[in-house]
Amino acid sequence: MNVDFNTAAKAAIGCWATGSLLSLFVRRTPILKLPALMLSFAGSLVMVGFIASYWSLLDRPPLRTLGETRLWYAALIPLVGFLVEYRWKIAWLKFYCMGLAAFFLVINMLHPEVFDKTLMPALQSPWFIPHVVVYLVGYVMLAASSVTALHNISLQLRSKGNVNGESVSHYLALLGFVLLTFGLIFGALWAKEAWGHYWTWDPKETWAFLSWLAYLGYLHACRYKIDRGKLQWYLALSFLVLLVCWFGVNYLPSARNSVHTYTQS
Amino acid sequence: MHIFLLVTVFKEKIFWLNNIICLILLWCYILDVCNPLMRMVFFHQAYFRYIVMVVVRRRWFQTPWEFRESSLGAALIVVAGFILQYATSGQGVPPLHLPLNAVILVLFAVLTLGVGLGFRENRLVQWLGGIPLGLSLIVALALLSLIGGVIPQGEVAPGSLPALLGVNQIFSSWPFALTVLLFLANLGLSLSWRLVPFSMKNIQFILFHAGFWIALSCGVFGSPDIQRLIMKVDEGGESNMAYSRESDSEQQLPFSVFLHDFSLEEYPPQLFLYDPRKNHALQELAKTTTLVHKGVKASWKGVAVEVLDFLPNALPGKNGIPEPADRTAGVAFAKVRITNTNAVPTYAWISSISPMMKPWAAPIGELLLVMAPGTPKAFRSDVTVRGESGQLVTATLEVNHPINVMGWKLYQMGYDDEAGRWSKYSLIEVIRDPWLPAVYLGFFMIMAGNVLFFWNGIKQKEVAS
Repeated sequence: MNVDFNTAAKAAIGCWATGSLLSLFVRRTPILKLPALMLSFAGSLVMVGFIASYWSLLDRPPLRTLGETRLWYAALIPLVGFLVEYRWKIAWLKFYCMGLAAFFLVINMLHPEVFDKTLMPALQSPWFIPHVVVYLVGYVMLAASSVTALHNISLQLRSKGNVNGESVSHYLALLGFVLLTFGLIFGALWAKEAWGHYWTWDPKETWAFLSWLAYLGYLHACRYKIDRGKLQWYLALSFLVLLVCWFGVNYLPSARNSVHTYTQS
Repeated sequence: MHIFLLVTVFKEKIFWLNNIICLILLWCYILDVCNPLMRMVFFHQAYFRYIVMVVVRRRWFQTPWEFRESSLGAALIVVAGFILQYATSGQGVPPLHLPLNAVILVLFAVLTLGVGLGFRENRLVQWLGGIPLGLSLIVALALLSLIGGVIPQGEVAPGSLPALLGVNQIFSSWPFALTVLLFLANLGLSLSWRLVPFSMKNIQFILFHAGFWIALSCGVFGSPDIQRLIMKVDEGGESNMAYSRESDSEQQLPFSVFLHDFSLEEYPPQLFLYDPRKNHALQELAKTTTLVHKGVKASWKGVAVEVLDFLPNALPGKNGIPEPADRTAGVAFAKVRITNTNAVPTYAWISSISPMMKPWAAPIGELLLVMAPGTPKAFRSDVTVRGESGQLVTATLEVNHPINVMGWKLYQMGYDDEAGRWSKYSLIEVIRDPWLPAVYLGFFMIMAGNVLFFWNGIKQKEVAS
């Protein structure tokens, strides 16, 4: 990653930090509401701008390595926080989201990756962008759902009623599940074109299937008589499966022949 | 209705109090304050300084069957699968081929629909098609997939415990097959109740569940019919023989492939520091190096390297200066300036490698600066496919761009890795999957159902606010 990244990342983190700081005073001085929002929003805009310039510099979408996908999370996760605030008037989520985004950027600053323009032939496909983008947005939704569920649990433990929060985590999980399904099927259709079969139980596929099953289970449990409050635990923990799928698979013994490990060689 | 009361009194064991509390709870139960499923009631009374925990429980196999019976059912089917796997010495599910597998699948579907519609009111059938069993089977499938997602899948020594239990080939093992079968029955039953009587309100449910049923069943039942074979075709040669990954025995195809030309494009080469004593490339330089082109700079532990000139295709010329050459023979050359912190800069030409030429390297201390060929950007084969009845198809095969010929799909798979772009042959994978259209139908139904799901979810959200 080039020098511009550090500047962009620092600018974005700076925007989020000052935006968050200002919003703490919004209750006392309501006039700060707009600048606080604008600053937080500007942080994501900086990242979107950086991704655009990085894309043109690389001559390919920056979606291949984990470091590159972290850029997208950093740009998109705060947007989910703003959307939730706008839609459900829940303000606290955006702070977690901006914190998470800043965390991703810091990881990238600490581990500058190989500046590598090459894209192996199997990844040069019209399916590449939809497959990865759908998963990115899906993971973002499910991450937000899991954070909301954790917040709901903490409210439960303090015996505070919170119906609104439970519906937020539910709808985020619902949207996330739909996107996971699209990602899974796009991946299958692409695999047929690139590797000859739509499903080979590649470790990454297996874990994607597992995380899909986890959320499928959630939706059915929700449909049945199971208490939504208890399901917050389920939602909070399901994200762990996703994390294994996202980061962990490459470290598992089963992954030695995976077609999804691009950076090992 | 059976009620199972568990009363625990802490601090003091006052039995008469116990009985009174039981009576109160019974009364609560009758008033439907208590949930018939299971509920824990905590009584805090500071005056008596005791806590009573009461659990109102269902008994095993009390109708209607719910999660407990369902979990047992799912666990039993998995255990039965492992026993069967063990009893057949780890053979796994015998592959059934067309038309037998299709006949069995259709019979299974008809049976599921028939039972679902004919015995709709039957408690057992309702349980078989209910959410509790569905959820338990989702968990069972997830656990089996977890085995497949953690334990490396592939060949192990026959007769060893993993092989006997099928955990090294979990997705073609009996436990997985039986769980999928029961899952399909569960899914099929729930589907039958939504299909008849038909209502547009159920269309989203039907698309998603029927799509999943079709994709899963056809994917699982159809997998023995998939043929994946590899052809090795020489440039200027023709072949109709292919071999499978599993066995080296060749088999004849109903068509032949003539390879006109194999070509490979590479990304620019990369700079590496090579340690001749240890015979391995040092990664430090590679990490900071971009692809080689004129003007590139790289540094490693006080050594700075700058590329002053770059010739993508050249051959050694007079006086040790390379001259541009034809792409078929030439390799990449770069003129580099090497600057050590406390020495005069040195200049050198380095080159990448080809079967005809050894690479040129530049010494840096005890190490060598080398230029590795770029990674493949694209490779393709110009082929003509000739069918048994003489029809001809001419096409270019490329990764991600397979072609369809006579019911087969042809993929650009590989080439002679040692020779790189000078490879004289091409590896082509030929695949036939007669079940593919059915699986794709399922996929598209799921996606259509999903679009509705998404839409309805958003609409519900509007209502919820």
